[in-house]
Amino acid sequence: MTQRKSPTAILHEGPRALSSDQVREIEESDLAGVLHVDIDDVIEYVHKDLKSLPGFTTLYRRYLKQRWDVYDLDFTQDKADWDEKMTEDERQSFIAVASGFHHGERQVEIELPVFMIGASEEEKLHIAAQIEDEARHTVFFDRFYREVVGLQGDDIMDILDASFPWVSETFVGPFGLLAYQADEVRRNPYDERARVRYGTNYFLWIEGVLALSVMKVTLSYARWRGFLPAYYTGFTATCRDESRHVQGGMRYLQQAVRKDPSMIGEIHNTLRTILSLSGVNSRQIYYEPLGWTEDEVRMLFFQQLRRKLNDVGIDLTPDLEELLRRVQPVLAGG
Amino acid sequence: MAEPTFFGKEWAGVVRDALTAGPSEQARRDKLPMYWDFFDRIRSAYPASWALGCRNLPAAPGEGPAYLFVQWAGGVVTSCQVVGPDEPLDATYVLGMDYPDWKALHDGYDAQRTVMYRKIMLEDGDLLEFFKGIYFFVECLAVIAAVPARYPAPVQGLRAR
Ligand SMILES: [Fe+2]
Ligand SMILES: [Fe+2]
Repeated sequence: MTQRKSPTAILHEGPRALSSDQVREIEESDLAGVLHVDIDDVIEYVHKDLKSLPGFTTLYRRYLKQRWDVYDLDFTQDKADWDEKMTEDERQSFIAVASGFHHGERQVEIELPVFMIGASEEEKLHIAAQIEDEARHTVFFDRFYREVVGLQGDDIMDILDASFPWVSETFVGPFGLLAYQADEVRRNPYDERARVRYGTNYFLWIEGVLALSVMKVTLSYARWRGFLPAYYTGFTATCRDESRHVQGGMRYLQQAVRKDPSMIGEIHNTLRTILSLSGVNSRQIYYEPLGWTEDEVRMLFFQQLRRKLNDVGIDLTPDLEELLRRVQPVLAGG
Repeated sequence: MAEPTFFGKEWAGVVRDALTAGPSEQARRDKLPMYWDFFDRIRSAYPASWALGCRNLPAAPGEGPAYLFVQWAGGVVTSCQVVGPDEPLDATYVLGMDYPDWKALHDGYDAQRTVMYRKIMLEDGDLLEFFKGIYFFVECLAVIAAVPARYPAPVQGLRAR
């Protein structure tokens, strides 16, 4: 975290190859070592294996090596940074972004178990691991909100309720959809079409696009300013966990389409609903204190979506291309 | 003037007027114009109907759910009525919620978490189509719940879940 790269450097970098040293650093760092891993490298790393996706057993074995103890983090310095070094604008922008994660991690934790029922045996290992990852991510935010932001409550739901006022009303788009899709899968756990629609929203859109992009915004801010070391460590480790989730999810979607090419229609239909909602905001989030503009964040979304679709080999229909073109901002001076 | 009883015939009429009037000025001020533009665009072309179920109504203990049927066409509500448990029901989207969750919504709980936490559930209808209008739906749900009405005390021990 010594280097002070611009927060938005990733928008201009484009795909790049990671050296074997960088890959080793990402894959093998222990929790203390994660502080020195560059978040842009982790985001790049997510895509590294998308063209030849690792199997579920490999992902499970990686999980066993990479899991970290959320109670090992010490937020003392973060608390001092939050109270003394960050401006009120920075705090408000940060919390507006982080609250989506606080709730998002909890939602992806509780909606995942039903998806395990209809999975292959090897995938079940990976999903069991992912459920544990998401539970740990939920605890990470619970600790951050209590120990750094200073919210108070008796239990996890109390803290979620306390941060909910910062969550945009449009959050119910992808996450309400996920809740209802999970219910659809609960009723018919072996309905492969329902599972593909669920997987498109969960693994491709929520994890692969929304989470990775917005994670990147808060992490590059922390890196840029040299603030919040425990947040940077825990959330970069979270991002490394997410890389396994996205790779597993893309493998699931790719296999489903290879088995039955008509499944591509389910992916397209799901994206049609998601993209039709994705251009709408209910609140102004000021990313500027974090070093970003709203257009740059949205640009990052669509860059992330494109890369995943390309790497996994999912083509869009002309109407979806048009929808994407309409909601995607043009990055001035990009 | 006495308040109508929740899920009574008179209440359905008041709901119809409230939906036609749309979200309050306060609600509109609290969110960006682009959000309301989207809301208005969805409403103007919304071709569907909702059947919003209430399970365990205190007035009808032990009976099946009653539904509020709302038909949209041309940007207005063309029909809004309560359909009893034994009457035929034909709606594009059928949803259901327990009485205590309706009451909580009326008492100020938000419509977003009512959906996200599956207090209200889609029981029948195309999920992906339904969600294209989700922002319109949650705002209307909030309008319906905000209608001044008498919510009787729930009957103990009858909560479905
Ligand atoms: Fe997570
Ligand atoms: Fe995840």
